[in-house]
Amino acid sequence: MAAPGKATVLLKAVKKITVQFCPFESNVRSTREFLALVGSEKARSTNMNCEVMPVVKHDKSEPVVDVTYVDGERLVMKGAKLTCSEMLGAFQSRCKDKDQQAKAGAKK
Amino acid sequence: MAATLCTKLLRNQGWAPLIQSVRHGSKAVTRHRKPLHIIKQKLLAVTQYIPPPRVVPPGAYPAENKCVQEDAGLSLILKKDLKKVFEESKMVAVVQKNGSNAEDMMILKHRLCKHGIKVKFFPNQVTRSFLSDSVYCNMAPLFIGPTVLFVSKEPKVKEMLSALRASPQMTLLGACIDNTLLSAQGVVSYSKLPSVTVVQGELVSGLTMLTSRTASMLQHHPARLSALLRQYVKQQSPDDGAEAAPKAEAAT
Repeated sequence: MAAPGKATVLLKAVKKITVQFCPFESNVRSTREFLALVGSEKARSTNMNCEVMPVVKHDKSEPVVDVTYVDGERLVMKGAKLTCSEMLGAFQSRCKDKDQQAKAGAKK
Repeated sequence: MAATLCTKLLRNQGWAPLIQSVRHGSKAVTRHRKPLHIIKQKLLAVTQYIPPPRVVPPGAYPAENKCVQEDAGLSLILKKDLKKVFEESKMVAVVQKNGSNAEDMMILKHRLCKHGIKVKFFPNQVTRSFLSDSVYCNMAPLFIGPTVLFVSKEPKVKEMLSALRASPQMTLLGACIDNTLLSAQGVVSYSKLPSVTVVQGELVSGLTMLTSRTASMLQHHPARLSALLRQYVKQQSPDDGAEAAPKAEAAT
C-alpha cells in the first residue's frame, strides 16, 4: 500500500503517541504504516518533545493508537478495520484544528 | 374541398370547425427513420430486452494466461543470500525502523558489529516469497513496512537489546533463535535466562541431592543412625496409635 498523500504530519499539538499492536496478527498493516509515518524524521522534527512509543504485544489484542494532546484531549483509534489513510486523515484534521486554536489564542 | 370551404365559412362566426382533418402534418409511414417522441423513446429504453448471458461450456475456450512470473535474476540472488543467512545464523531478529537517519543507523551498526551482529536489509516481497517456501513460514506476517534483519551466529540477545534501547526508533518485532520463533517478550525472557552450563548444574544438583543425603546419613555413626530410626518409628507410632484407638472404641 503506498503512503497516503504527501501532506506532512504536524505534531505540534501532540504530547505523546502510543502505538500498540501484535505483529503476528494479520490486521496490523495499517497501524504499522501509521507508525512508520508518524515516527519518521520529518514528523518528529515538527515537535521534538513529542514521544512516539511503539508497544509490541503478543496476546492477539487489537491494534490501538492512543494520542494524547497538549491540552489533555485523547484520541483513541482502533486500527483493526481502518486504513492508514483514514487514520492519518482523522489525526491530521484534529492536529490542524488544535494548531489553529493555539495560534488564535497566541495572537490574542 | 369541403374542409376548406367550411373553415372559411365558420372562422368569422367563431364556431369550432365542423370537420377536423386527421391526415395532416407529417405522415406515419416515412422513408427515413422518424424521430420518436421523447417519452416513447424513454419507455423503449427502459423496457429493452436484455438477453441472459450465455454460459460457455468448460473447455470450449483455452484458459487465460495464468501469470506464472519467474523470479527476476536479482530476487533469485537475494533468495540465495537469505537462505545462506538463515542456515548460518542461529539468531535472526526482525526490527521495524521508523525513520532513523544514516547517522543513527551507522552508530547502531557499529555497536552491533562489535558483538558480531550484522544488519541486513532485504525487500519484503522477496523475503515473503522465500519464507513461504521454507520452514519459517510463520515469520511471514512480520515483514510489513520498513523492516531490517539483525543476524548473528551466536545468540547475543542482551547486547542486541541494550543497543536497541539506545535507539528509540527501532522496534523489535520478533526473533527466530535456534529455530524457535519468539515474540518480543519471549526475546526479553530469553535474555534473562542463565547460561546452559548453569542450568545443567542446577538440574544435576537437584537430582543428586536426595541420594547424596541418604549416602551421608548411612556414613554416620551407627548409634546416630539407630537414634534416627527410633525417632522415625515414634513419629509413625502416634499416628498408628491414634488410628488403633478409634478402631478399638468402635469394636467395643
